[in-house]
Amino acid sequence: MTTSATLQLGNTMKSVASPLADTTRSAALPLVKVAGLHKSYGPQIQVLKGLDIEMKPGERLVVIGPSGGGKSTLLRVMMGLEEIDKGAISFDGKPYISARGDGRKTQIDTAVRREIGMVFQHYTLFPHLNILENLILAPCKVRGESRKDASERAEGLLARFGLGAKARAYPSQLSGGQKQRVAIARALMLDPKLMLFDEVTSALDPELVAEVEQVIMQLAGQNMPMMIVTHDMWFARNIASRVVFCAGGVVVEDGPPEQVLGAPVQERTREFIDRVFHIRQ
Amino acid sequence: MDYTFDFHAIGQNMGPLIDGLVMTIQLTIAANLVGVTLGFVIALLALSRWAAVRTPVMLFVEFFRCTPAIVQIIWIFYCVPILFDVYFDSLTMGVIALGLNLAAFNAEAYRAAIQTVPREQLDAGIALGLSPIQRIAYIVLPVAVRASVPVLITNGIGSFQQSALVALVGVQDLMYAGKFLATETYRPIETFTVIALIYLAVSFPVSQLVEYLERRRGAASH
Repeated sequence: MTTSATLQLGNTMKSVASPLADTTRSAALPLVKVAGLHKSYGPQIQVLKGLDIEMKPGERLVVIGPSGGGKSTLLRVMMGLEEIDKGAISFDGKPYISARGDGRKTQIDTAVRREIGMVFQHYTLFPHLNILENLILAPCKVRGESRKDASERAEGLLARFGLGAKARAYPSQLSGGQKQRVAIARALMLDPKLMLFDEVTSALDPELVAEVEQVIMQLAGQNMPMMIVTHDMWFARNIASRVVFCAGGVVVEDGPPEQVLGAPVQERTREFIDRVFHIRQ
Repeated sequence: MDYTFDFHAIGQNMGPLIDGLVMTIQLTIAANLVGVTLGFVIALLALSRWAAVRTPVMLFVEFFRCTPAIVQIIWIFYCVPILFDVYFDSLTMGVIALGLNLAAFNAEAYRAAIQTVPREQLDAGIALGLSPIQRIAYIVLPVAVRASVPVLITNGIGSFQQSALVALVGVQDLMYAGKFLATETYRPIETFTVIALIYLAVSFPVSQLVEYLERRRGAASH
């Protein structure tokens, strides 16, 4: 199983070709526009303090930064999992999340949000459903797809991710890496136009990280737009078309990976990069 | 110990004991039907985001958890008819008293089980576009109900034993039959030994089943 996955994915481990070759698309509207995002937990803890990000179609944006800097919160807000105090987000030109202020609930257009898929750090598979059922639950219940059609697509995806033999297994029978690959396949079942990855390898044993990163690289090879929060700087360098350094609830530095990871302009970024790479060596 | 056991009189009077056991089992099953279903509704209400719903439900649960069952049974038998002007036969009253008590304990079992479903799974449900009702139906309930089964069965055994209390208010259950037999035969020691063995014979296999279920669950979660 693992062998076939590696064979299939082996060639994607090289850095992925530039996604911005398609100039007509990059000139178009931003795919994601995050404007002036403010978010606090109570009066004391302000996580986002006016965060702005724009993402062009086809980009692979990697968000790095210290813990508590607002990276994961950004993705969670984009998925409609968190209320916000101020700001708005639009996707593909359609505004879909906006703060209404005064403690009122954040407005979310769920139809637009469904075009975005997300994979979390852990505990994401439903333990009472087998792998195939995990994959087809949302397509059948949310989109009303027939069980047969959804199962066929699911089998195809699982085969592609080297998990063909695991369709009838339960999540408890899978390794952490396999679980995360299933979680990615499950999100892809809804044909998202953007994928969010929130520290998807942070909870894994080191030897299982590669197989999950390979699957994400494979998606990158197919030009899937993605926003990735990660602490793995090597992965960030390999997959990013652009890197954003977030700290203190704002974007501190934003640029190509060679700049932000290699020769950061901002002092704050340099300190962080030095520390992270120092720890890893 | 120089007491000589003589089970002769008990052996000749097993009929009333069997009848009592049948009554006890019926009472237990009926109380569990109330406890399992009403307990579930109570658990959902107790998790409501509205305090106006949550508070009275929590008071109900705490009342039954923090007062002796025997007091609840006697209170329901004697006070309810007077205060609310409703009269039921003693068996129905027994089912109500034991059922409400069990519902309160089962509600806590369900509530704990619902809260074991990790927040991340609900987040994943939102990310997959499931509606709030779909998230409860497809993510929370199947896991929570399975997780609560061992506790529900344990509470069920408890209610089987607790049902002996309703003999005090005239329900002709196993305990009632035993008390009657003990005075009839002047053999209280033998009678209550046999009664205890009958309760044990029914409860023990069920408690073994719970242990088996918990072992299996423990193995499955690794």
